[in-house]
Amino acid sequence: MASLGTFLLLAAFVACSYAAVISVAGARRGSRRLIESGIGAFYLVCALMTVASAVIVNAFLTGDYSIKYVHNYSDSVQPLFYKITSYWGGLDGSIMFWVFLLSVFGSIAVYVNRERHRELIPYVVAVISTVQMFFLYLMVVHKNPFTTFLTEVPADGRGLNPLLQNYWMVIHPPSLYTGFVGMTIPYAFGMAALITGHLDDSWLRAVRRWTMFSWIFLSFGLTLGMIWAYEELGWGGFWGWDPVENAGLLPWFTATAFLHSVIVQERRSMLRIWNVTLVIVTFFLTIFGTFMTRSGVVQSVHAFGSDVVLARLFTGFMIVILTFSFGLVIHRLPLLRARNEFDSWLSREAAFLVNNWILLFSALFVLFATMFPTLSEAVTGNRLTVGPPFFNKWMAPIGLFLLFLTGFGPLLAWRKSTLSNLRDQFLWPTLAALVTGGVLVALGVRVWSSGLCFAMSAFVTGTITQEFWRGANVRRGVTGTDVFTALVGLVGRNKRRYGGYIVHLGIMLMFLGFAGSGFKQEQQVQLKVGQETTLGHYTIRNDGVKVSDDGQKQMVTGYISVFRDGKRIDTMYPAKWFFRKHEAEPTTEVAIRRSFAEDLYIVLAFQPSDLSTQSASLQINVNPLVDWVWFGFAIMALGTGIALLPERTYAFALAKLPEAAGAAATASTTVGLLLALWLCATPLLAAQHEAGTGVMLKPINPLEATMRDEMACTCGSCEHEALSKCPCSAADQMRGELRTQVELGKTREEIISHFIALFGGQQFLRSPIDKGFNRLAWLFPYLVGTIGLVVVGVTARRWSRHQDGSDPAPAEPPDREIEERLDDELRNLD
Amino acid sequence: MTHRYIKIGLTSAVLVLAFTGLLWSTLREGTEYFKYVDEVLPQRQSWEGKPLQLKGYVVPGSRLRKPDTLEWRFKVQNNPARSAESGGVVDVSYTGIVPDTFKDEAEVVLRGQLGPDGFHVVKDGVVAKCPSKYEAAAAASKS
Repeated sequence: MASLGTFLLLAAFVACSYAAVISVAGARRGSRRLIESGIGAFYLVCALMTVASAVIVNAFLTGDYSIKYVHNYSDSVQPLFYKITSYWGGLDGSIMFWVFLLSVFGSIAVYVNRERHRELIPYVVAVISTVQMFFLYLMVVHKNPFTTFLTEVPADGRGLNPLLQNYWMVIHPPSLYTGFVGMTIPYAFGMAALITGHLDDSWLRAVRRWTMFSWIFLSFGLTLGMIWAYEELGWGGFWGWDPVENAGLLPWFTATAFLHSVIVQERRSMLRIWNVTLVIVTFFLTIFGTFMTRSGVVQSVHAFGSDVVLARLFTGFMIVILTFSFGLVIHRLPLLRARNEFDSWLSREAAFLVNNWILLFSALFVLFATMFPTLSEAVTGNRLTVGPPFFNKWMAPIGLFLLFLTGFGPLLAWRKSTLSNLRDQFLWPTLAALVTGGVLVALGVRVWSSGLCFAMSAFVTGTITQEFWRGANVRRGVTGTDVFTALVGLVGRNKRRYGGYIVHLGIMLMFLGFAGSGFKQEQQVQLKVGQETTLGHYTIRNDGVKVSDDGQKQMVTGYISVFRDGKRIDTMYPAKWFFRKHEAEPTTEVAIRRSFAEDLYIVLAFQPSDLSTQSASLQINVNPLVDWVWFGFAIMALGTGIALLPERTYAFALAKLPEAAGAAATASTTVGLLLALWLCATPLLAAQHEAGTGVMLKPINPLEATMRDEMACTCGSCEHEALSKCPCSAADQMRGELRTQVELGKTREEIISHFIALFGGQQFLRSPIDKGFNRLAWLFPYLVGTIGLVVVGVTARRWSRHQDGSDPAPAEPPDREIEERLDDELRNLD
Repeated sequence: MTHRYIKIGLTSAVLVLAFTGLLWSTLREGTEYFKYVDEVLPQRQSWEGKPLQLKGYVVPGSRLRKPDTLEWRFKVQNNPARSAESGGVVDVSYTGIVPDTFKDEAEVVLRGQLGPDGFHVVKDGVVAKCPSKYEAAAAASKS
């Protein structure tokens, strides 16, 4: 099997070389056949890498310990799941996984764009193939995961490092790799655009989604890394400015910058050189990050070992990338010149530019500080190190400024903001910030960075709310739908803008979590059995330390009672696990008591001498607001999901609806959003729920009886009770209205449409009218319940499917001027 | 046009200067020297009181802990425990929780200051790498 694997890698290398060469030749000669052949070879690489991956996973599953890599990173007792994930547990495999992902992404990108961006494709193929060739070369000559033992074959493997046997760690590397590898696609398109000279905005359109997609995975990977550090490493925090973490953060900064500046280019045809540069730098940083962590250039507690050959190969590759890319940029400078100039510093594009500078500066700073020990050693001979405090000292103000821009930028107009629209725009957000700041000062919050962060968060929230509110109002005025449909339509029309705002909201929540660490409390204590200590408003008592064994590991568990205000609220079990064959590296099982306000976080530090006395060395932290970091990420993912969804998803809310035809659609949205509101606002609505007369008149005919069963009370607090049962006053009124209608001799349909007109929706029906669009209303509660990215995607797709063909023709806008203003406001930046 | 370039040039010069100044001043406070035991011992006096990251290996059998407290005393030497000579040896004191990998012979990096009576490690200043046979040695401890 091992030789098959090696052969596959070699074959992939050959196919890559062929694809690169033939694509360039095809493009230069203008030969369609050669280009097609290149694309074919490119797909072939993907197939070969898939098979090679299957081979190595198979080797892990069957325990083929003659392969060194399998021997090093797995053993026979490992759970099946971790056997598969051992694929990317080590250096060699992670490089192979990298190539595999790249070949898959590359193939998808080429397949999707092969018609639309025909002129770019051959060079895209060539660039991606070249990158693949480098990694394949690396594997074949230096880090072949299929290397076997020459003489004796060991009976069992050494097992994956126990620290990595954690579910977060299983998804963390693939997610980070997805982000890293995905950044190659924008780079390839950027290069292709530079080579061919097709430097209009079309290449940007091809890569926008890819960048967003990679960006969210990069963010996800970083967040998972934080969660892992928080839960598994047990030092009480989640971000330690370790070189490996920084390596992931560097391209994140530049990718974020690119996602912003690309908007300026689309809108104003400016910053073209800048955008190409950002794409190149982002790609470069992904390679550099890999180099930094894999070659031992930077010392880190969890970097891979040092490797001189690898370092040389990578250095060579990076020099080639830089020379080639920036050489091309310089070559194409005349074509890249901006078509517009800045009008004012008080404009949206200026805010974007400043945001870009800050992000780029952050990247440079983190790069500098990470490399500082290495640099200082090279320059002065003394190895000087900088710790997390140094990073924090710089990054806290930078982060706060970025947060400020998050709220500030969207309030500015394109080109130039006038004084009056500044006042108009800034009033409410600034007020929100000032009030929050005032309250904080009054409450006696004295950590300036955190306090400022909270005030900024209020500012950002104010901005975002105002943007949604005003947008929805304008849209409602024009389309004549209700406010909720207008809101969905607004987001649909400007997915990227409003999805982006939701991402900002997520970022803001994450910052809340970061700011919380300013109020962190910690303590390290040695507690004898029965002894207590106090931290914050918690009292912690050691009830003893016990040892148990489950066959795979020995577990030393502390039994810790937690008291608050004299009352026992919980028992926590911090532990150390000693995995077989890894006894020297026990894993820390942190006990965390989570809440939105703060986490109580207890780590047991085990010393063998403690066992006889059952005393426990504990590190106890109270970490305020930490969980908002994870929650903020979820919101960020939601926002990105919205921005990534295809246009037609929102079709149902996008059309400007004529009143009659619109009723159904309006109603369905309204029902859904009312349900959502009902979920969160039941306590509020309960105030409106008053006991009615309690007198229920008998129905005068069967129609009224069935209608009473079909209709429900709309007061919002009696759980959609049928009119035939609900005793509240709202139901009384509805019954009265129904009686009037029945007495007028109307039919069921007429009555329903009467009520629809009355309520502006069909929320009065116990079940939505089961036809056409209204079936969708059923989907809404589920949507509300699961704010998952996937669910949003799938459900939304279903919506759009129903809408196909039955799209009502857009009505003539009532007012030309409002329409223009709306268009200006809502200009789809996609 | 030239007027504009002068403006841009001046602005960037001021910015660059400001940043360099800030960087310089914060670096002076934030940095620590990373030194092996043998690099420090010859001019021991001159290193006293300076922020240091001291790298060495735990002398086998030297680790002592006051019972039921978190107070530690141990020694570190310049060379790995099994090498022919041990190199210089420094006494170390520390109060706090040590990482799991803090064992005899472990490779350690200690953050703190050198005093006449030995090396004082700051809180959470012990970072230990176990003598790992694993390439992908993951984090042992974090500061």
